[in-house]
Amino acid sequence: MIYKNMNKVNPYIVFIMRIILGLVFIIASYDKLLDPQQFARDISNYHFIPFGFENFVAIILPWIELFIGFSLIIGVMLDGSALTTGVLLIMFNFLVFQAMVRGFNIDCGCGLKEGEMVGAQKLIENFTLLLFSYTIFINKKRIFEFYPKTTLS
Amino acid sequence: MNYKLQFIFLIFLPSLLGLGVNYLNTNSLPLIAKPIEKVSSAEELKSRNTMVKIREIDIEMALELYSKKALFVDARAEEYISEGVIPGAIFSDDIAILSSKIDSAIGIDSAFVVYCSDDDCGSSEELAFELEDLGFTNILVFSGGWKSWTESGYDIQKYE
Repeated sequence: MIYKNMNKVNPYIVFIMRIILGLVFIIASYDKLLDPQQFARDISNYHFIPFGFENFVAIILPWIELFIGFSLIIGVMLDGSALTTGVLLIMFNFLVFQAMVRGFNIDCGCGLKEGEMVGAQKLIENFTLLLFSYTIFINKKRIFEFYPKTTLS
Repeated sequence: MNYKLQFIFLIFLPSLLGLGVNYLNTNSLPLIAKPIEKVSSAEELKSRNTMVKIREIDIEMALELYSKKALFVDARAEEYISEGVIPGAIFSDDIAILSSKIDSAIGIDSAFVVYCSDDDCGSSEELAFELEDLGFTNILVFSGGWKSWTESGYDIQKYE
């Protein structure tokens, strides 16, 4: 029932979700932009990305997070932003989950709180944000959307 | 612009910007990370490039250093310490306490060994980078860690 009505969420609630999701991604990008070396180490600790590509990811990912964070808040390319956040959150949850299964006791490198470790709480947080992404993506009646414009905006 | 084009745009434009900023940055990161240098003999251990502050050792080198009374640092969380540690190893979840213990034991320029649970536990490398940031200049990450030490049947020290 809830699933069926997810595309009929009040546009103001969707707007609040956009602000929250956007702020989370902007805040998460801040420390990573200032110290990509540390972020590369955090990625490396997951022991998942091969051939030293953690540096490449550490260079580009914070900028993607910053762009989609601002896009969500100012109402530009909302479909693409919601889709990108969703894809990123699925990837983040996969990385956290595999680290938990392999018994790693490591800093999650999420950029939100100092010393935040991988664990079930992180999975739940990411899953909640993933629901926000999905809700934003499927609700096409939007307010404060500037490009491309929908009927309400 | 449909959502697929938006997605591509939102991946590629920031990526190009990130690469451009990194290129212009005076402390730019290489696009591909260099692996940690491996040390497999006592000669290699002594003849080191002082710019390289973190190196990796295997079980044989760890045993050799243990026999020479090198300092070992256990990077595992304190809840795992009840399993035991390599005899004489120091540990603490608090980086300030740990760095102070290492500093007072051997100073910041002497070699010491950091280990965690196994080959890819991650905590030993994470701790090594934190200690490097605090000024330690000769850190050896024992890649096999606790697992290879205990599987080889070497001594351990238990804490009740």
